[in-house]
Amino acid sequence: MSLGVTEKKLDNLHWPLVLCTLIICSLGVWNLASATKNAPVIMALVQFRWMLVGGLFIALLLLADYRWLQTAAWPGYVAAIGLLAGVAFAGKKVLGARRWLQVGSMQVQPSEFVKLAVIIVLARWFARDETGLRKGHYGILDLLRPFAFILLPVALVMKQPDLGTALVTFAIAMTMVMFAKVKWRDVAIMFVGGAGAAVFAWSRFLKDYQKQRLLTFLNPEAYAKGAGYHAIQSVIAVGSGQWSGKGWGEGTQNQLAFLPEQHTDFIFSVWAEEHGFLGGVVLIALYAFLVLAALDVAANARDKFGSFLSLGIAALFFWHAVINMGMVTGLLPVVGVPLPLFSYGGSSVVADMLGIGILLNVSLRRFMF
Amino acid sequence: MMLVRRDADDIREIRPRAALGALIVVCTMLVLVVRLYQLQILRGDVYVVQSIANFRKSLFVPADRGVIKDSKGRTLVDNRPSFDVFLTPAFCKGKERDEVIEKLQDYLHLGQDDVERIKSDYQKSWFSKDKLERFKPYLVMLDIPRDQVDVLEAHKTEMSCVNLIPTPHRSYHAPTSFGHVLGYMSEVTPEEMDDHPEYRRGQTIGRRGLERRWEKELRGADGKQNIAVDAKGRELDKDTQEALIPENERLVPATPGNNLVLSVDEKLQRAADLAFPGRAGAVVAMEAKTGFILAMVSRPSFDSNKMSGRISRAELKAISEDPLKPMLNRVMNENYHPGSTFKTIISFAGLESSAITPGSTVFCGGGYTMGNHRWRCDKPEGHGSLDLKHALSRSCDVYYYTVGDRVGLDAIAEMARRFGYGQPTGLDLGREIPGIVPDSTTITPESGSARAHAINAGIGQGEINVTPLQQAVAYAAVANGGDIVLPQIVRRIEAPDGKVIREFQPQVLRKLGLKESSLTAVRGALRAVVNEPGGTAYRSRLQDIEFAGKTGTAQVMKLGQKQKLDPTTQAYFSRDHAWFAAFAPADDPEIVVVVLNEHGGWGAEAAAPAAAKIVSAYFKMKREETAPPPVPALPPPPPLATSSMVQ
Repeated sequence: MSLGVTEKKLDNLHWPLVLCTLIICSLGVWNLASATKNAPVIMALVQFRWMLVGGLFIALLLLADYRWLQTAAWPGYVAAIGLLAGVAFAGKKVLGARRWLQVGSMQVQPSEFVKLAVIIVLARWFARDETGLRKGHYGILDLLRPFAFILLPVALVMKQPDLGTALVTFAIAMTMVMFAKVKWRDVAIMFVGGAGAAVFAWSRFLKDYQKQRLLTFLNPEAYAKGAGYHAIQSVIAVGSGQWSGKGWGEGTQNQLAFLPEQHTDFIFSVWAEEHGFLGGVVLIALYAFLVLAALDVAANARDKFGSFLSLGIAALFFWHAVINMGMVTGLLPVVGVPLPLFSYGGSSVVADMLGIGILLNVSLRRFMF
Repeated sequence: MMLVRRDADDIREIRPRAALGALIVVCTMLVLVVRLYQLQILRGDVYVVQSIANFRKSLFVPADRGVIKDSKGRTLVDNRPSFDVFLTPAFCKGKERDEVIEKLQDYLHLGQDDVERIKSDYQKSWFSKDKLERFKPYLVMLDIPRDQVDVLEAHKTEMSCVNLIPTPHRSYHAPTSFGHVLGYMSEVTPEEMDDHPEYRRGQTIGRRGLERRWEKELRGADGKQNIAVDAKGRELDKDTQEALIPENERLVPATPGNNLVLSVDEKLQRAADLAFPGRAGAVVAMEAKTGFILAMVSRPSFDSNKMSGRISRAELKAISEDPLKPMLNRVMNENYHPGSTFKTIISFAGLESSAITPGSTVFCGGGYTMGNHRWRCDKPEGHGSLDLKHALSRSCDVYYYTVGDRVGLDAIAEMARRFGYGQPTGLDLGREIPGIVPDSTTITPESGSARAHAINAGIGQGEINVTPLQQAVAYAAVANGGDIVLPQIVRRIEAPDGKVIREFQPQVLRKLGLKESSLTAVRGALRAVVNEPGGTAYRSRLQDIEFAGKTGTAQVMKLGQKQKLDPTTQAYFSRDHAWFAAFAPADDPEIVVVVLNEHGGWGAEAAAPAAAKIVSAYFKMKREETAPPPVPALPPPPPLATSSMVQ
């Protein structure tokens, strides 16, 4: 493997994806500057620093063929699970949840990296497993092992508790399964069976106060200030943006702190309040483009591993973007899920950038052995 | 270059699924776009309003209540700056609430019952069906002293839910004897707020007297100041506020209330209060020709400052349980037998019906007999033969039993009603009772025959009951030649700049049309009461002013029962009421003075001297005022400028 990055190779780089990422990052920092205008720390600069770190990781990732990730998959997975276990014992408690690990002066949120580890492990499994080839498709029983890989970290994240990240991790993994040789009939059975079991358990075995307790347990922020307050203020913020928004730094919901968590989970509300419908559509289009580009990379990958890696990354961005934007516009219940490259948070930014790096790598080496 | 793909088949399998995935991605993103369109474009204006409502807070700017002045321009009531403490439940809940209430208890030295009240008001507001209720500040403590204001200011940041609201409070400079005239202020009740939505919780409304009667004129209209706050309710800096709230919406200034100028003269009121000797009773001094009231005392009274401020439950209880009933305005809301003061009216009934003439005489042998009942005269040995002048000035009972018996109950009732008894006088100062004038249709057979009633009524006893104010109106009519005037206490209403909005004119309700000879005879007799030896009030005569009047001693216990008792040992509440109704000067009367000394004893002793002092004070004041050079009166203090709001 040569270290020389030639002109030819740079031509093969997925430039539209690079450009899209750069635009989202720039808008993200700019928007964060408004959201944290009154905060003592210049958070937008911190975020920018993490993006540079992420960019550096992308550059390093591009040097090596992504296939070495197959070798790194299991060690990475074990390390991620180890970190999650570490969080469970030594994590920092914020708002009733343990999600962060103190590393020196930094706080790391391992669950952000667990998503990548699960993607890589699943991609490796689907790339290597011969069952699909032998039978021509996967039956439900054949999928028990990958389910086991998925459920272990999901259960640990759930325990933090972080319902949003657990759901997203599960959704990403299930999306990858959909793309394997699974019969649509089995997909339907899994979906209906899973949903049916959940609904049955919910309505049959749980009493109202237990449901309430479970909801509060799984999602403490949403109930901290009285259910619905976050959602209502967010919808007011978004709605009051109208066509073109109130202007950068002029959003009253954002600036006067009526909007809760405006720099993390509700960052899109800040954007929509200050830049209106037009700004909102632009940002949605950018995320749509990012996901479509990832699907394009998957469809044109050199091998199954690269393809599944890209599908996983596509699912990562898709679910994050959709759940976050759906939540702040009141379409979905409030679960804490960050908006990729927009929400403040070093772990999430670096993990997202690593995902972009993987996509670029798969795309770059689509013609190579 | 040929490409060999190991996983080519699988990847080919992935492609259609990736295409389907792309379709799902596009559709999902479109759903989000539609949602944005719905929120931002279709419902955008609704959310704009809601986002503005989030940061916009309306503070009310209290209007300065109108001041009340006496006829000489002396300020009786105005406003002084003071601070009320309010609490907004929405901004402190749970543990913070308990901490804040504990701190308030400490800083304001609250008693346990205050704390209970604050807590229960908090609960009421918090659990109100109207969710917005908890955002409305409620009154925690009224009118706190200056040092507590400083303490609260110093601890402001610990208690963001507590607001110090500068509210001008009523300041009553007039003496306590003005209580029933002026009234007082207290917090509006929820029921009143239902009827008058312009009142805010914690605001005060006029109670009793002029404060209540002229509430609408005095109140003015509150203004509004719109400020911008952040999510924690903290006021934003000036620049941000100016950017957020358009200038024309920032301040709606308050309109101050109108001022009242009374006909009452504070000095005369003080003189009347000073002259009145009793524990309980009433004094009315009124212009005889116009009906304007110059002084009005009802004793015991209440302290308007105390009633308007922080008054404890114990103090309120003491007032309501006081047997002398300080909250009762005796001038117009209590009635008494007129006693001998009523003989003036009986004289007119006799003269007008020709039952007597000024010169005809009646023999008094010390009693009057009808059937087997004998009515005693005050003078047991009898007055001998008397004409009208001597009968009235010496207050012979037998003469008036005789006249009462001659004219009959219905003629007495008719004359009494013509003089204004048995109906409210119409003084525009709230509730007024009509008194009782019995006639043959109202009496019951068990209470005695109509004839017996007429004989009793002849000396103002029996069932007849009158208010001191009715006495003033009736004697004014005697004094002014037969005009029943409307008693009034407000001379004019002025705008804050002094412009006269409404001037009250004297009103003659009706003319009695009495014979001139009757008037001359009765007025002469009333002059003799004070100014001729033998007159019942001869000892109260004045050197410089010749005034006229009639004493009265109204029996509280049944006739015949009391005379055996020694007046000094009688229990207070069974003692007679002492009356004196006067007008002065006797020849061309300007002023009518009625004194009622509740359970005071003899009218000549317990009421007439007070009336004489008031008459004397009136003419002394009048001489001083007309004497050159006039002493320049002090200008009234400028109205307090407290309409600005500082948070």
